[in-house]
Amino acid sequence: MLSTNPLERKLQLSGIILILGLVVEALCLLGRGPIAFIVFAGLGGLLLFAGFVIYLYSLVSVSHPHG
Amino acid sequence: MPTFLILLLVAFSIFLIGVFVFRPQVTATRGGKMTAFLGLFALPLLCLGMGTSSELEHAKSTEFCLSCHIMEPYGKSLCVDDPQHLAAAHFQNHRVPPNEACYTCHTNYAMFGGVKAKLGGLRHIYVYYLGTPPAPENIKLYEPYNNRECLHCHAGARSFEEGAVHTADPDLLPALKANKTSCISSGCHGVVHDVASLKDAKFWKGGN
Repeated sequence: MLSTNPLERKLQLSGIILILGLVVEALCLLGRGPIAFIVFAGLGGLLLFAGFVIYLYSLVSVSHPHG
Repeated sequence: MPTFLILLLVAFSIFLIGVFVFRPQVTATRGGKMTAFLGLFALPLLCLGMGTSSELEHAKSTEFCLSCHIMEPYGKSLCVDDPQHLAAAHFQNHRVPPNEACYTCHTNYAMFGGVKAKLGGLRHIYVYYLGTPPAPENIKLYEPYNNRECLHCHAGARSFEEGAVHTADPDLLPALKANKTSCISSGCHGVVHDVASLKDAKFWKGGN
């Protein structure tokens, strides 16, 4: 399923992690207790942060052929 | 912002991200790259910000504080039918917003008070789940209650500034304002959450 193109593969990886993060955040928003708050900030935040980093890294790691 | 709107935004973001996961080649075009920035960065960041704001707001609610079993007696103490019970009198007479009753009195009205209150909450969770929580009647504040929290609302109020007891001793008001004499001193407003004697208490039914 993952693309053979390195840039596209990084975008896919970033997307999968972001989807996981968003699902965690959505479930926590439906929860009402302190544990939901902790999971939202800890796990959800961490997954989204990792997704952002991979996405931004994919942008700066693209090598452009000169000329 | 209502939770369902945030959830709608989350669902839309997931859909958009899904397009890039299953069809990453769409990012080859200029429009695709811009949409990828929106879907893989801007929208999730917006979801995170709005979700965090919603969670922090919810963490102020009385329901949130009382969701821990150990806090139940403190919730019950808000309904004691006795005006001498400080927390109950404030809650029942809406001197504090009933839906944010705990937070209103137990936050810190100094700079970064909200942050300090949240860090205190994290400590509560740590003790509750990973430590040895004390019995409800043995729970103590981390530091003595500061009059600043009372004066946030009461300073300048006629009932406070001109109250017969407060003005009987000319040294009392300055001492209260300087936090040298506690508002919750014994003999003043000393009964706050008397959870140890709840079994003998009479309860107000109006809040249900």
